[in-house]
Amino acid sequence: MEDTLLSLAHGFGIAFQPGNLWYAFIGCLVGTLVGVLPGIGPLSGISILLPVTFGLNATEAVIMLAGIYYGSQYGGSTTSILMRIPGEASSVMTCIDGNAMAKKGRAGAALCIAAVGSFTAGTFGILMLTLIAPPLAAIALKFGPPEYTALLIMGLIFLAYMSSTSLVRTLLMACLGLMLGMIGIDNMTGHFRYSFDFAELGDGIGIVPVAVGLFGLGEILATPSHKVRGEVITPKYRELLPTRAEWRAAYWPIARGSVLGFVIGIIPGSAHIISSFLSYALERRISKNPEEFGKGAVAGVAGPESANNSASTGAFVPMLSLGIPTGPITAVLIGALMIHGVPAGPQLVTEHRDLFWGFVASMYVGNLMLLLLNLPLVGLFVSVLRIPYGYLYPLIIMFCIVGVYEVNHSIVDVWIMLIMGMLGYALRKFDFDPAPLVLGLVIAPIFEQSLRQSLIMSNGNYLIFFNRPFSAALMAICIVLLGLSALAYFLKRKDWRAKLAAAEAGEPGA
Amino acid sequence: MDRRSFVIGTAACVATGPALAQGAFPSHTVTILCAFPPGGANDTVTRPIAAALEPILKQPVVVETKAGAGGQIGAQVAAVAKPGGYTLLSHNNGISGYAEVDKLFGRTPKTTRGDFIPLARLIADPVLLLVNDQQPYKTLKDFLDDARKRPEAIVYSSGGLYGATHLPVAILEKATGIPKLRHLPTNGGGPAITALLGNNAQVSTQTLSAASQHIKSGNLRALASFGATRSKILPDVPTLKELGFNAEYYLWVGLFAPQNTPADVVDTLSAALDKAAVSDQFKSVVANLGQEYSYQNARGFAAFWAADAKISDEAVQLIGKQ
Amino acid sequence: MNPPSPAKRITLRADHIAGAFFVAAGLAVIALSGDLPTGQLSMPGAGFLPEIVAVLIIVLGASLFLRAHESPAFASIAWDDGPHAGKVILVTAAAIVLYVKLGFIVTMVLMLMTLLTVIERKNVPRALLYSVAVAGGIYVIFVYVLRSPLPTGILGHW
Repeated sequence: MEDTLLSLAHGFGIAFQPGNLWYAFIGCLVGTLVGVLPGIGPLSGISILLPVTFGLNATEAVIMLAGIYYGSQYGGSTTSILMRIPGEASSVMTCIDGNAMAKKGRAGAALCIAAVGSFTAGTFGILMLTLIAPPLAAIALKFGPPEYTALLIMGLIFLAYMSSTSLVRTLLMACLGLMLGMIGIDNMTGHFRYSFDFAELGDGIGIVPVAVGLFGLGEILATPSHKVRGEVITPKYRELLPTRAEWRAAYWPIARGSVLGFVIGIIPGSAHIISSFLSYALERRISKNPEEFGKGAVAGVAGPESANNSASTGAFVPMLSLGIPTGPITAVLIGALMIHGVPAGPQLVTEHRDLFWGFVASMYVGNLMLLLLNLPLVGLFVSVLRIPYGYLYPLIIMFCIVGVYEVNHSIVDVWIMLIMGMLGYALRKFDFDPAPLVLGLVIAPIFEQSLRQSLIMSNGNYLIFFNRPFSAALMAICIVLLGLSALAYFLKRKDWRAKLAAAEAGEPGA
Repeated sequence: MDRRSFVIGTAACVATGPALAQGAFPSHTVTILCAFPPGGANDTVTRPIAAALEPILKQPVVVETKAGAGGQIGAQVAAVAKPGGYTLLSHNNGISGYAEVDKLFGRTPKTTRGDFIPLARLIADPVLLLVNDQQPYKTLKDFLDDARKRPEAIVYSSGGLYGATHLPVAILEKATGIPKLRHLPTNGGGPAITALLGNNAQVSTQTLSAASQHIKSGNLRALASFGATRSKILPDVPTLKELGFNAEYYLWVGLFAPQNTPADVVDTLSAALDKAAVSDQFKSVVANLGQEYSYQNARGFAAFWAADAKISDEAVQLIGKQ
Repeated sequence: MNPPSPAKRITLRADHIAGAFFVAAGLAVIALSGDLPTGQLSMPGAGFLPEIVAVLIIVLGASLFLRAHESPAFASIAWDDGPHAGKVILVTAAAIVLYVKLGFIVTMVLMLMTLLTVIERKNVPRALLYSVAVAGGIYVIFVYVLRSPLPTGILGHW
């Protein structure tokens, strides 16, 4: 412990060297920019700036590139909140309640809460990284396909808590999402599934085109300008900050999101994507007012935003202690370190002590920089909403097209976005909620792959899910959750007649 | 992104393209399509070579990621790009096998090797046969003996079906005559190594540069190398050849131009690449990646590719349809 | 269940349409699954999970259809935003067709101008100024600040 603190102090000495401070700032600045702009995510941001780092030393390079990564998590929510365009998969959940808050004139509050939540989660993540990275990494390695499967079964159970529509409607949306998620080459056998000879569909349907279409474009199609004319939301600058009540509603979701995101973030693989979805479902499940979700619940912004930020920090745990990537972004960072002759791996801490601790310390500094950078920007971003709707929505459509195209440079993705926009419009008319669809899409490929991988490992024996400790524990939680739901359903059925009457009186069209 | 050709009409371009190119190739930005996402070997070596090419060609050289479907999307886009030398492709072993895999599934191949002109091989990273340190195997013989005793029981992880970390296992099975091992496909080299480190798979064939850290830290053990000679980085690891098995395999990264690129443009490009390959910038990146310098010029690469593709086709047939 | 009143029985309801759509979608998936091997429970093939999900969609869609009397009448759904949505979809589709061919700046200026002047009936010079400024600004940020290429199209290489 003392040793850790000494090393960290040494690291701060390195992080505060003017050069390192400067590159941390540049990284955070670029990160904010790529986070705010839809389409350019951290992955392309980092790889585009990679050649720039050839002239720097390894410490400067990794400080700057990592700054882009965690910096982009801050800005990621901006377009979600203001325009309902999720730039990355991790900010999909934010656009539901964040944009609803903006519609109520609380865009500034939503952005502030997102920034503070990101800061808290980021700092919590680094603290954990500093204190207990090596033992955590060892646990992360135990997380193989069976554990993944169990985690995703939990995710599927959580699906039911995602939406305020009836269970049948929620499940239908989820199944549609699962179906869309199975399009593309089957990783296990090489068969093309439902891709109709489009090579672009080979990797499946991306989350960004679907989410941008369903949420962003769908919203525009359902909002003709003649209805909005004259009622522009003009936020007053003194109303930018969250109220005391909003802060109070944000504390616990931020805390829970930070822990949940970090735990999921350290798992190698693509689990980090589901962190913000799980956080949203969790907040809705334990909220006293679940009906507020979707209509501008503060917890629906605070929880997922914190979760995705601490997941991105958690991803550094296996990267720095084991040299294994948890996702494409940490893979690029490992590649960047290798280019500079610093192999990421268990020996990083001992062989490159200055780099390791300088890097860790720079993340504390960088998170503070990002908070100071993002809070003043809130005022600037919110003024986007001063543009009259008739001028604003063409701009949003432009962002939808560019944002989706830039992710993969694929025009097929943009077509998918348009089709999803039309679907989103129709779903609205028929009173369906698209959020479970997106979670289904996220879960399907990972769930299917890990299920089938587990069965390969066990040669077809389903007991594999119950005779490994972590997997068994997760399965036990799933069974308890299902049991509780069944119990609640059973109890509710007793007074169903009263409920049905209430539903007929008020529900339709809601 | 240059798709202007489609608007103006391909015919016009074919007529005027070479004439224009003769004057001063390149007259504007050269784009290298990278068929694999950032973080992989392709991206890692293509970006420094692009940076080294800029002062030689005196034009911007941009790397554009066109990843997806195991590299097939990048290959397909490059195959139909305007053959003027302004759109090049960075690809790896995968480009050899698509046609053979398509044949296996009864699909019409979208790209064949004839669609591309090889320009240079940037790296060739020998593949190693790795086991988790919790496994009892100390030598290749230990492993082969056990594999014979327990057919389809030992699990190996790969970065994807018919990929550069899957084919070597088929090559090994054939060269040593062991029965089939059980395959655990993952989606990439990183996840495949993670599966091995977590002992969810017991064996894997991964490249030297990807594995050397984990070998040094003692988490993985290398039983044999698919290289032609022992690596200077791991001199204790015997090659399969010296153990008496005829198996050689590398994960290589090469640059290609679309077919019908004018010969003089190809010459200009390959001369520029030869120069860029000896730049300190490129050499230091290769060294830092933990690899031996294995650049090949256009002629050498063409011969290498032809031989390697034959091995690849055979391995795909051995694996067969799952 | 409440016995549906005779008046309700003849009304076409929203969930009749939605339920029928999902049943049809599920059947279509099964029809398209063709030669995908399903495998066994112990070793699922490529077609295994898709078919399970397709069956689920059919079952859920059917239950939606059967309980449609709980949903509002189809005729009560307001479509007054339809014409506007249709126009926006058409303009967006045209922009997608042209995007790679004409390039980012030309396509986006055209799209913004069409939306602003034809659909929104804004003042033409102001709309033009706005379109050019917005498209140009975004282009500069993407291409020059972030070095992330946007399609250049007919404007060629700068």
